[in-house]
Amino acid sequence: MMNQFSSPGQSILNGQKVRFERERGVWAVHVTRHLAHALITFEPGAERSESVRMVLKALADAGIPIFLVKLHRTAVTFALAHHYVQQADEVLKQAGFGVRIRPDLALVVVIATTMREVSGIMVHISDALYHADAQLYETGDSHDSVQCLIDGVHVESALERLCQEFGLEKSVVHERPLPGNREAQA
Amino acid sequence: MKILVQKFGGTSVDRAEHRLLAARKVIQVREAGFSPVVVVSAIGRAGAPYATDTLIKVLRDVDPQVTPSAREMDMMMACGEIISTVVFAQTLNAAGCKAIALSGGQAGIITEDKFGDARILEIRPQYLLSLLEQGYVPVVCGFQGITLPDGEMEHGAITTLGRGGSDTSASALGVALKAEAVEIYTDVDGVKTADPSIVPEARTLPVCTYEEVAEIAHQGARVVHPRAAELAMDHNIPLWVKSTFSDAPGTRIVANDSAEAPGPRLTGITHTGRTVLIRLDMGDTPHKAHIEREVYRMMARAEVPIFFNTFGSRSLSFVVERRIYPIARDLLDGMVIPIPSEPKDQDGKLSTFYIFRYDKGQDLAYSVQRPLLACVEDRIHVVDVPVNAIENCTLVSVVARGHRQESGVVAKMYDALTLAGIPVYQTADSEMSVSCLIPESEVDKAVCLLHKHLFG
Repeated sequence: MMNQFSSPGQSILNGQKVRFERERGVWAVHVTRHLAHALITFEPGAERSESVRMVLKALADAGIPIFLVKLHRTAVTFALAHHYVQQADEVLKQAGFGVRIRPDLALVVVIATTMREVSGIMVHISDALYHADAQLYETGDSHDSVQCLIDGVHVESALERLCQEFGLEKSVVHERPLPGNREAQA
Repeated sequence: MKILVQKFGGTSVDRAEHRLLAARKVIQVREAGFSPVVVVSAIGRAGAPYATDTLIKVLRDVDPQVTPSAREMDMMMACGEIISTVVFAQTLNAAGCKAIALSGGQAGIITEDKFGDARILEIRPQYLLSLLEQGYVPVVCGFQGITLPDGEMEHGAITTLGRGGSDTSASALGVALKAEAVEIYTDVDGVKTADPSIVPEARTLPVCTYEEVAEIAHQGARVVHPRAAELAMDHNIPLWVKSTFSDAPGTRIVANDSAEAPGPRLTGITHTGRTVLIRLDMGDTPHKAHIEREVYRMMARAEVPIFFNTFGSRSLSFVVERRIYPIARDLLDGMVIPIPSEPKDQDGKLSTFYIFRYDKGQDLAYSVQRPLLACVEDRIHVVDVPVNAIENCTLVSVVARGHRQESGVVAKMYDALTLAGIPVYQTADSEMSVSCLIPESEVDKAVCLLHKHLFG
């Protein structure tokens, strides 16, 4: 039988090692522009679950995609594409809710492997955004991403700082289409 | 040569009759003209004599006061797969199928030297290929590899690949051997719309994308480890999830751009994690961003991963795993964040000290530190930041590819849960899923409800 170490293996190409498994840590940044953040504050004494349910139902019935939905003690917040803002405002007013909109935001998404098993990514992100003067209005996270809603005008400086912080090339920054914007995706 | 990698998990090799069923799967594909390469996990799950957890206990019991090194722990853990591999190879040989047992190192799996959670650097497949050419069925230990044989620090030390390592071994071998497919055999018929032990009527999905199966695995389903799915996705190796105990066709895992790939859809309901929700009430302060950064920094220093971050105008909340919550609580109790005022503020004070205060009874450090600050309150502002925690939480998730292009997934989830009286403490979403943080005691009820509402 041959020795199992007699072959260089298939992951060595032209004498250079290529990535076999995904490396730990941050490897890409995605950006989605032209977003808004909505804040709906409930009347004092209103039952939160019922109010949240009504808000979410009104938006769903109107076919308005929302994301980064966050529950607060007396409010609910979410993000949406700017082209849905007027419709959302009308729908929610009809349902009896006042809505405050913060326009001209962007979602910067930091993509990493095994995000929830490593500590410290959030401090790097918040440091980078702080030094870019980009106020963080909301975050969301999953096993492979941290999503940060920031002012649109600060996107370029935020990207530069994030790339510096995580040692990334600019080539790993990708623009992503707006949620619900089928024309843009087509 | 048409190579097929077949991986059998712990429940497929835990008993002689199960091993015979698994061996039959190997013999069947051989008779169909494939050259099988088998990967096996350790025999049985926690409690079984050669299961990984049992071996860990043997080593820890040597002296509970002395933690074994990660290197020695890896050598110990690797024994489970070695025993399983030899037994399974012998099962095949006894059935008239020429087989040979190989450790991860003998199969050419080279890893970094991060013991306990090593990543595969490369696979040197030549020895495996030569065995296949000689008509052997190689039976390879899952979950393990070795460091470089000519490495500077470690010469071919045994490493383990971390959780789900055997699935990762199978996918990696599939990639290196340019296999026709990798088949992951388990005790369910394929990727299900929910955990069948909670929802018996959960359906088997005939086709899933790599992304869906990776997401479903990350969110708690234990069909394929996400690393294995990601490896297969990155190298475009066909992947199947099948049952050792039936002839059901299983689930075929395909690329997103494959003609068979399903469009945006609800894929399944999952649940995962034992967590604690922590909320900091900072009040109306101009220093909120600064305080948040310091909290993140402190958690990072103590290696406490945090997630489910939520910003209120006056608060910050996040989730930590329950096993490390005591560390987070000790860090936060009485934590002081000083913020200097330059020059002195309008009250003539030099700075503001924020001190974190848990509810009474859990505020040991606070109760010691707070009086110390009282004596300097004529020079500084001292602001209490109340901290409270909801323990015993868990995540229930809907994996929903493309849900951000549609509306209503969050609404349907929230509706189903809250109308059934299940509190939703917080939500989170990504491009592939929506998760709700709920009491752990309600998880079975929540999974059943969501499955009924979303999958009919």
